Amino acid sequence: MTVLSFSLTPEATGRLTITALNLSKTAYAAFALDARTFFIDYDFSASSGAKSGDRFTCQLLNKALQSVFKGRSNEGRGRESAVERCDVSIQDQPDKTECRLIVKMLCKHGMTKFYRLTYESVEVMHALFDRTAANQGWRISSRVLREYIEFFGPKTEQLDLLAQEGKAVFTSFTEKVATGTEALKQPLETAISLHTGEFEDFHMQQDMHIVISVKDFKAIVTHAETLRAPISCHFSLPTRPLQFSYHNLGMHSEFTLMTTGDMRAASTTPNPQFVSNRGSSRQPSVIPAQATGRSASEMPPPPRPGISKPLLSQSQRTSAKAQVRQPSMTESDPDPESLFMPDGDEDPRWEPLNYEQDEGEEMLGWDANNEHPSQQTFRDSGTAARPPRRAEPSQEGLEPTQRLSQMHGMFD
Amino acid sequence: MRFRADIRNIHTFTKFTASLATLGHIAWVRLDNKDVRFTVIPDTGTQVWSVLTLDTIFDNYTIQSAAPNNTINLEVPLAVLQRALRSAQNANAASIRLTKKDNIPLLSLTITTETLRSSQPTATAPGQDHFAGNGTSSSINGFHPDGPSTDFREESVEFFGARQDRETVVTQDIPIRVLAAAAVEGLHEPRCRAPDVHIVLPNLVQLKTISDRFTKLALATKSGAGRSIGGFATQSATAGPKLELSANMHGCLRLALHTDSMHISSLWTGLENPELDPEQVSDGEDGLANHPSTRMKALGDSTGQHGEEGWATVRVEGRDWGRVLSVGRLGGRVIACFCNQHALILYVFLPAGEEVVVGGGESVLTYYISSYAA
Repeated sequence: MTVLSFSLTPEATGRLTITALNLSKTAYAAFALDARTFFIDYDFSASSGAKSGDRFTCQLLNKALQSVFKGRSNEGRGRESAVERCDVSIQDQPDKTECRLIVKMLCKHGMTKFYRLTYESVEVMHALFDRTAANQGWRISSRVLREYIEFFGPKTEQLDLLAQEGKAVFTSFTEKVATGTEALKQPLETAISLHTGEFEDFHMQQDMHIVISVKDFKAIVTHAETLRAPISCHFSLPTRPLQFSYHNLGMHSEFTLMTTGDMRAASTTPNPQFVSNRGSSRQPSVIPAQATGRSASEMPPPPRPGISKPLLSQSQRTSAKAQVRQPSMTESDPDPESLFMPDGDEDPRWEPLNYEQDEGEEMLGWDANNEHPSQQTFRDSGTAARPPRRAEPSQEGLEPTQRLSQMHGMFD
Repeated sequence: MRFRADIRNIHTFTKFTASLATLGHIAWVRLDNKDVRFTVIPDTGTQVWSVLTLDTIFDNYTIQSAAPNNTINLEVPLAVLQRALRSAQNANAASIRLTKKDNIPLLSLTITTETLRSSQPTATAPGQDHFAGNGTSSSINGFHPDGPSTDFREESVEFFGARQDRETVVTQDIPIRVLAAAAVEGLHEPRCRAPDVHIVLPNLVQLKTISDRFTKLALATKSGAGRSIGGFATQSATAGPKLELSANMHGCLRLALHTDSMHISSLWTGLENPELDPEQVSDGEDGLANHPSTRMKALGDSTGQHGEEGWATVRVEGRDWGRVLSVGRLGGRVIACFCNQHALILYVFLPAGEEVVVGGGESVLTYYISSYAA
């Protein structure tokens, strides 16, 4: 993530939001710092001539900001240069030639350090994540996860999330397959199988594989643990975005990550089963095993606290479930416009990606207006009305490469 | 080919692996009915040949192989094994087995741990005392508070079943290579002439601290003499500073460093020179009488201050020696055998477990360190 974006909003609902997007646009991080809780003093007045209204937004290099703040936490402990207070101000007066973000660090013995960073005044893009569509997820103490992420080998690349028989399984793996003496250089493959009772909330489709990057996951868990906040994870299906969120001490953190993973298990199951401890939070040690296998339409998940958006109605939710079954039907009915002969169900995975048809239904929406960055929601409005359009999620444009799980299909 | 065992002493196994890992990346592991052998033969530096009795690290050991003597030979990456074992530090139980995944052979380590209780929803608390004193169960934790008492037994079975599932299972898959018997045929433990001096080494922690200090000093004086510091990183083991290690048959051990600008040495006295067992020496009593160490006994004295008579000396590479000494964490008794100007052999005897099997052999690590010319 090379560029950091800032947005400041007025004091009443004031917050400083710092966001970053990686180069491949598959991961997005947002930290909203609350004006009253996080800052000692927060003063913002929108410049009158600003085109963006009552907000200030800008962009600066991550490296530049990092070099100012990195490693400062260690200086707090009685060292000569201990920072006692840090003031950040923005200089964007029209009469000054240069725009600067000024960081002033007041240290012991009256020493003051100034850092003047150049910023670029731009409209900020925010990734939007529709939590109402992400009807699966879990919440767990970050301390518990922190303990286990240590076990993932340092060189592993991917992390597979799976729910199976009352357990949540986290598997770190690397796709490179080496042979001979090279095989010994393969990193450790680690599987951690946690009982769903360890989770404050758990609801995930049985046997569905969701794959994200181990590095991202480790970084998120490590940071959440420093805030001592429980981590929430929301997702819908593989190849759709997933969101981690946690908040404490006036800092709201959200990470929206694109996932890969195996759709087949999820799509071919005629009646998707869920591993869930929802609605049974009072008896977590007994119920999860029984709850396994109940479909969500029998046992609708209760509205989760912390979500201010309206949940889908019961009927909508049922249809959202129904669309999970769709792919098996549509895969036998390929695009009539296609130049390729239909050839069983092996074929669709070799299709070139159809970008146009996916238009308007990408989960990662971009919004340059950003009136209320934290409240706006990109809604898959077509979910209920046009379920078939979301029926081929495995062919969406955001997938960078072919999945390993599909590789064996070539000759079988 | 089958191999499966419970790991009974995870800390010993971890420390053992960690000490081996300092000397080489890959270990040749030989498993059979009697013992487990770990051998590390690096390109340069010290070789380790270790024999562990089965009960040192394993329990419920099962092995099955088509090779003669029920033997399995493996190549195991030590750093990966060490990392896997480290995640078992707080485990309730751990087991290891040989398996295959996508045609890649693996040692799969399965670890069961209790998780932190902190994540528990506290809502279970009201139900906790509900059945206390019922006498039928030793229940500790809450289950369905509203459950009718007739269902109690059934529920408690389910409850305890669920409780067991509650354990977190961590699986660590270590990629390995299976070696054919022919591939390891040519590997033999080095042979050495009878040692001139054998002596029990002092506490390895102390010895290591002093050795490391000497090595550092040697490196510092060298860089002071105008060599670039960057050059040291690329120096092979043979190019590093040499420490001179000497011992006599009167309980003296001396560690010395000689550079152009300084001579420093540390002297230990009052150490033990173990008696040789005549049965272990070729030609029995006669052999013992003619043994080099017997002749060395006639020379030198217990103060170690009077001349060079009776001392056997070897020169070791400082950093390599430091890595060898890292075996000290296992806390065993260490006997050093000096072949004057030729080699140093260390025997590290692991402390026996709580149950000593009579005649069951001992777990011993043997380090072969060759001496550098002066």
